[in-house]
Amino acid sequence: MAPSDQDTLVSCLANLPRGEARGFRFRNLLGGEDGNERYFPFQELEREAKVRAARLHALGLRKGDRIALVIADPAEFVLSFLGAAVGGIVPVPIYPRASFKAKNAYVETVSHIVKAAGAKVLLLTESSKPVVEEVLQHDTGLSELVVLEEWLTRPVVPTTLPTIAPEDLCFLQFTSGSTSLPKGVMVTHRNLVANARAFLGERGIARTDDDVAVTWLPLYHDMGLIGFVLGTLVCNINTVLLPTEAFGRRPNVWIDCMHKYGGTITFAPNFAYGLATKRARDKDLEGLDLSKWRIAGCGAEPINPKVMREFAERFARCGFNANALMPAYGMAEATLAITFHTRGTPIITDRVDADRMQQGKAVPTDAPAEGVGGVLELINCGHPFPGHAVKIVNELGETLADREVGEIWANGASITAGYYGNPEATAATYTDGWLHTGDLGYMVNGDVYVCGRLKDLIIIRGANFYPQDIEWAVAEVEGVRRDNVVAFSVMREGEETLIVSAEGNSTDAATLRRTIATKVMETTGLAVGHVAVVKVGSLPKTSSGKVQRRRTKALFESGQLEEHS
Amino acid sequence: MTRAELLQIFRSTASEIAEKDLQNVEETRVIAELGIDSLELLEVIGSLERDLNIRVPDDQLVGIQTVGQLISLVADKMPMNG
Repeated sequence: MAPSDQDTLVSCLANLPRGEARGFRFRNLLGGEDGNERYFPFQELEREAKVRAARLHALGLRKGDRIALVIADPAEFVLSFLGAAVGGIVPVPIYPRASFKAKNAYVETVSHIVKAAGAKVLLLTESSKPVVEEVLQHDTGLSELVVLEEWLTRPVVPTTLPTIAPEDLCFLQFTSGSTSLPKGVMVTHRNLVANARAFLGERGIARTDDDVAVTWLPLYHDMGLIGFVLGTLVCNINTVLLPTEAFGRRPNVWIDCMHKYGGTITFAPNFAYGLATKRARDKDLEGLDLSKWRIAGCGAEPINPKVMREFAERFARCGFNANALMPAYGMAEATLAITFHTRGTPIITDRVDADRMQQGKAVPTDAPAEGVGGVLELINCGHPFPGHAVKIVNELGETLADREVGEIWANGASITAGYYGNPEATAATYTDGWLHTGDLGYMVNGDVYVCGRLKDLIIIRGANFYPQDIEWAVAEVEGVRRDNVVAFSVMREGEETLIVSAEGNSTDAATLRRTIATKVMETTGLAVGHVAVVKVGSLPKTSSGKVQRRRTKALFESGQLEEHS
Repeated sequence: MTRAELLQIFRSTASEIAEKDLQNVEETRVIAELGIDSLELLEVIGSLERDLNIRVPDDQLVGIQTVGQLISLVADKMPMNG
């Protein structure tokens, strides 16, 4: 059937080709090198989604109700998500608890999301129950926990599936906002189909029937969920999904699977390309054929051109084509993708004068990179898709000229309607169909360069962290008080690095540095790049006594933050 | 394999993956203080799994705080020494 602007995820699912040849392959690598697989042809995915929709209806859920999903297993997650979508129920993916993380912080995060989404039911797996069930002790409005394994043994009661319209809510994406004030982006079926057809269409990836998409990205995050589950379903692409943890335990798994499955499309944050390059020993590369790989997308965090070039050089001997590298820019509020580099062409970078950038001008320079004056090399993230637009604006909302730095705004059918149940945050982020991204950038001939951030957000390894979450956790450390601690990030060797500065006594400095680093690791899983313990009263504050993150960062970067030794 | 040998394997694996000198780390040290983040630690465990031919499930890693606790968990998974 021809694509229509009345399509939804559900109609796309129904229109996927039948047969055994096309579908999703879930590869489980945790059982050892050989692992095992679950393969679902597209018609099987649809059939099982309908069964799960009936199971969800049997729980009393109806069209428009929200259900929280805490399911680490990719296959079970996808089937349950699709079941909700087919049944008209709005899934709310929540990340599973990561290893080593403190339990209380995790339970609190889940509770805040469940409450903000107004979810009555939470579907989880047996193994996560002992921790997640503590959510019931919080005031969230949650009435029932359903354990997936037991739920799947219940008899199926036939149901009538509702009609799904393009303007209906498809799911809530909770990757924005701090832990205590999470914001659920409302993604409608129209947003989803528009974005998937844009980034997988002719002006994006230009999908073909021969494509094989491969991912290990987490599926509770937009790049994994939309890029490699919903988008590949909307556009009929064979897909191989690996558990994120498998990549964590052995980064080589990613490249090995590109070879093994003849992968043509994959996406990952910058850090993963760096890690893959570092971990590939000569003997790991023997016999690898990466010549089919045509799209190596990169997004979700600042892209370091050096990392891209080194990756291409390292894997060239396996037939990797450097023109496969495809820098991209996007965010959950725009469903997923905002701009893509032109596929199959060399990456483009812009070398600009760092001093002039401070004044908001991206002025090209021929100075050597090692020069004292400072040269920034920024990556071209490409242009918006047909029917979509991007502009750069100043504080007054006026459109700026090429090479002038301002906030990046985006519009088009992919731009979501805002945050669920949060009109204030929505009004602050969206005006007249334009999404204010909170990112700083400039344009050159229609192409976008991202060069910084207006919003106080820290992005490390593609994951977003809010400074206040880190500051509040650190404030629990003995000897540190709230409003006496600042978290921010700086770029070090092209990578975003977390810096925490806290006020304290010089005699406690050594202990504080250790305990603060431990606290941050337990709550976020991050290693602090540096803990700066400074004299009590020395962090810059507003007249009302709140710490000033940007001024603290400026002091730190200029070496003027006086630390205890 | 002795516990001391396991500690030595941990030290060299962690040093390599985190690109830090962790060759003198003792069992009493808190892992979060070593400047290794959770992703690097997961990779250290993946590497130990392959080198020692063991399997350490993710849910058992929850609550591990010190190097010694991690060594104990790994030792637990080792086949009995003949």
